[in-house]
Amino acid sequence: MKGPLSFKFPWRSRRQIAAEIEAELAFHLAMRTSELEGRGMTPDAAAAQARTEFGDVEFTRAYCRTQDEAGERSMRWSDRLEGVWYDVRHAVRSLRRTPAFTGIAIFTITLVLGANTAVFSAARAVLLRPLPYGHPDALVAVQIKSVAGYFVGTEGLSPPDYQDYRAQQHSFTDIAAYNGDNSATATWLPTHGDPEVIRTALVTGNMFTVLGATPRAGRALIPGDAAAGAPDVAVVSSPFFDRALGGDPARLGESLIIDGRPTRIVGVMRPEFTLGHHADIWLPLDLSGDLADPGRTRKQHWLNVVGRLRPGTTIDGASRDLSLIGARLAAAYPDADSNHYATPVPLRTWMVGSVGSGLTLLQGSALLVLLIACANLANLTLSRALDRRRDVAVRAALGSGRGRLIRQLLFESILVAVVGGILGIALAYAATRWLLAINANFLPGPYPVAVDGTALAFCAALALGTGFLSGLAPALTVARLDLQQTLREGGRGSSGGRVVERARRALVVAQIALAATLLIGAGLLVRSFRALDAVQLGFAPDHVLTARFSVGGTRYDTAAVVNRFYDQVIGELARTPGVVAVGASDALPTQGSSGSSMRIEGQVNDEANLPNMAYLAIRGDYFQALRVPLLAGRLFTVNDNDSAAAKVAVINEAALHKYFPNGAIGKRIHIGPTATGPAITIVGIIADVHGEGASYPVLPTLFTYHRQQTWESSLSIAIRTRGDPLALTPALRRAVRDADPRVAIHDIATLETVVRESLASRRFALALVTSFAALALVLATVGIYGVLAYLVAGRRREFGVRLALGATRRSVVTLVLRQGLIWTAIGLALGLAGAAAERKLLTTSLYGVSADDPMTWIGVAVVLFAVVTAACLIPAIRATRVDPVVAMRAD
Amino acid sequence: MSRTPPEMLQGTVDLLVLRALAWEPMHGYGVSRWLEARSDGVLVVDGAALYQALHRLERRKWVASSWGVSENNRRAKFYRLGRTGAAQLRESTAVWHDYAHAVARVLAPR
Repeated sequence: MKGPLSFKFPWRSRRQIAAEIEAELAFHLAMRTSELEGRGMTPDAAAAQARTEFGDVEFTRAYCRTQDEAGERSMRWSDRLEGVWYDVRHAVRSLRRTPAFTGIAIFTITLVLGANTAVFSAARAVLLRPLPYGHPDALVAVQIKSVAGYFVGTEGLSPPDYQDYRAQQHSFTDIAAYNGDNSATATWLPTHGDPEVIRTALVTGNMFTVLGATPRAGRALIPGDAAAGAPDVAVVSSPFFDRALGGDPARLGESLIIDGRPTRIVGVMRPEFTLGHHADIWLPLDLSGDLADPGRTRKQHWLNVVGRLRPGTTIDGASRDLSLIGARLAAAYPDADSNHYATPVPLRTWMVGSVGSGLTLLQGSALLVLLIACANLANLTLSRALDRRRDVAVRAALGSGRGRLIRQLLFESILVAVVGGILGIALAYAATRWLLAINANFLPGPYPVAVDGTALAFCAALALGTGFLSGLAPALTVARLDLQQTLREGGRGSSGGRVVERARRALVVAQIALAATLLIGAGLLVRSFRALDAVQLGFAPDHVLTARFSVGGTRYDTAAVVNRFYDQVIGELARTPGVVAVGASDALPTQGSSGSSMRIEGQVNDEANLPNMAYLAIRGDYFQALRVPLLAGRLFTVNDNDSAAAKVAVINEAALHKYFPNGAIGKRIHIGPTATGPAITIVGIIADVHGEGASYPVLPTLFTYHRQQTWESSLSIAIRTRGDPLALTPALRRAVRDADPRVAIHDIATLETVVRESLASRRFALALVTSFAALALVLATVGIYGVLAYLVAGRRREFGVRLALGATRRSVVTLVLRQGLIWTAIGLALGLAGAAAERKLLTTSLYGVSADDPMTWIGVAVVLFAVVTAACLIPAIRATRVDPVVAMRAD
Repeated sequence: MSRTPPEMLQGTVDLLVLRALAWEPMHGYGVSRWLEARSDGVLVVDGAALYQALHRLERRKWVASSWGVSENNRRAKFYRLGRTGAAQLRESTAVWHDYAHAVARVLAPR
């Protein structure tokens, strides 16, 4: 007597288990009772005897139930696991049957997840990691906000303002100042080898205490380090410590020659320490000279200030405190401090600046592309699922639960996404490594960009989300199909009914909408970039070699020494064959300038609003080298010697129009708010140059003669050549070595490169956003093509009938095309709404074009319709090739 | 009517049940009859101990069960020895033999 033992029972409920045990025990008692009756006992006696023999029925019943329920639970789990394993194998098999689909899907996901993860690892490093300071939330940057006058916007504090705010504020435990950015340099003279340019920042002695940043070894800078007569000391970064002192802690305390002075290295900062830019060395900032002459220096806004809020003080409270002081200072110093006041900004916001919004923009774009890819895959999966409808229906008919069907379709999508995610992580890892390798400074500071655990988790979450998003819609749609209907039709039905139609349309429209949003963003950036590129900079950047010298230290403390060096270098280069003109300036065009207020003799000056000009010192044939035309008067000549009486200057056209309504030549001015400085005679007027970069307006500018004004001893040289400018590099190096072998040369580049560099970060972001938009367009086009092609294939019979009944080929093409174009129109409308939403993110990155620029919107619409039409034409033409006879026989 | 000796170990009942099912698949009542017959009426396992053992063994997947029809045409739950159960039976039988021989040697008169 054998039961069908291999047959598996369906899962049992608790009640079923109890009932079965009851029946089993009852059977035993009944058997024993009837056996006892057979031996002659009365039924009652037999039943009682059987019970007594059995023992504790109550306990046995409970015991068996516990055992069975536990067994049932473990069986359910193993059944489930087996089901999952079965689904995985099934998914792998069915994916392998369609290698084209699987390949495209995995490739798309790899690309998109790789891009997302790479951008994320950069965005996280800059925007999410805690700043490398103690209790960073209490730290703020303090900036001067100018609301009117020569300069409108935010800038640093001047030394006297810093001193006054520091003394009068009540909101901070302390505030500290530094000066430095990625262009601040010093010269390091190694024991062996050529002088090297290193990146530096000057910090006040209390800076490290305010930041709560402790050194890795040695000590940080302290307030006494900048005092007069104190020995020269510095703190260095970990990488520079390794480079200059071999990373040997025992060599801490040794001296390095920095800017010609032996400087003791007293501490090494931790690798992650940064002030938001790249720096090798931090030197004490001595403000005593500036503070001794506040009349001159109160307008020189070059200090970056950081403050630590007192416990319990909010940023709003600090803001009120600072603006009160600002009002007091404006009353005391109307010329320097009118129309502006200090304001606190969260330190991170200030440090990451425009890079932060750029990264947010990139991450947003990348996520949009991901959504498009999801919609695309959902559509492809839907097509695949429909092809297998018969298979699915048969399995459903055989008792495969609906949940299981959904799970199998989902599994395929998730499997594809997981494989794509793994490859995507590899891609992101390679991409970030490559990016860091080609340009370690693509971020403004040493932020630790790494594809680490968090990035991995981010990618994994995106991969699972992608799998669900792209698999759920098709799975649910297929599960809702009338399966019996499908079986009757033999799995050949037209295109899967209304449910599927609606799902496909929604997905295509969503793709177009997302792509349109991205295209508009990219279009606006392209137009901004082209507007910037088209700006007439006012000089000819071709055929010019430039370089910067670090000239400083004790050996260059008199004007005569500085002049001798530059006269020799410029003279030797000017005599070199192939050189047209040589000159030098303290900043090249697009690299900015400093400003100063001044008084013009013979004019009544508004004391609260003195003339204010950008201020550059030049020497040699600088304007000839840059091809900036002289409009009136003359340029500097060797006859302009350095006697105080003969000081001369040249101004640009903007300055002429703004400050000299009656002509400028021959007028005398005094630099600084007081008229105590020596008079400078204006001798010439030159054309305007965009000194601050293409995206800034031309400032009224004063060019002094460097020979007469040598306080800035490090200049940039500009050499106009007949041939390839870079071919002159050896001659340049030789000229500098001949004049002084201890002077470091850096940033040797053509002027064209300098100009391009000024737009480099913009170009980089533009390239990324444009590639994302292009990818989005391709994905959306493939999506719409796929759906239309499938639609045409499913309606072949209908088209055949139409053609047989005399429809023209043109009308059939129109029919198909119209479908695609209607979807595109709806998607475009939604995309425009999406673009309106991204406007806020974009405005900071735009130039010369408004966020709702109609040209861009029209352009995107035209491109989108053109591409979609091209994609739709293929299936549309295929629809006309249908042979009516064949199409009808096929069914 | 002799009762199961109280000191009869739980493991012993399990072992006996496995041995019974190794003979052929049977229901619980059948197991008790078989054991009694095979031991000439010496080993009488009471119902409580028997069914606790059967469900315990099923939980361990040493035996499997299914509903079938008994010799007198009643619905009954049949048990059969699983593959792990058979292995367990071999192992436990060897252990039991060693144990029984040892006990017998100790108790043997000199």
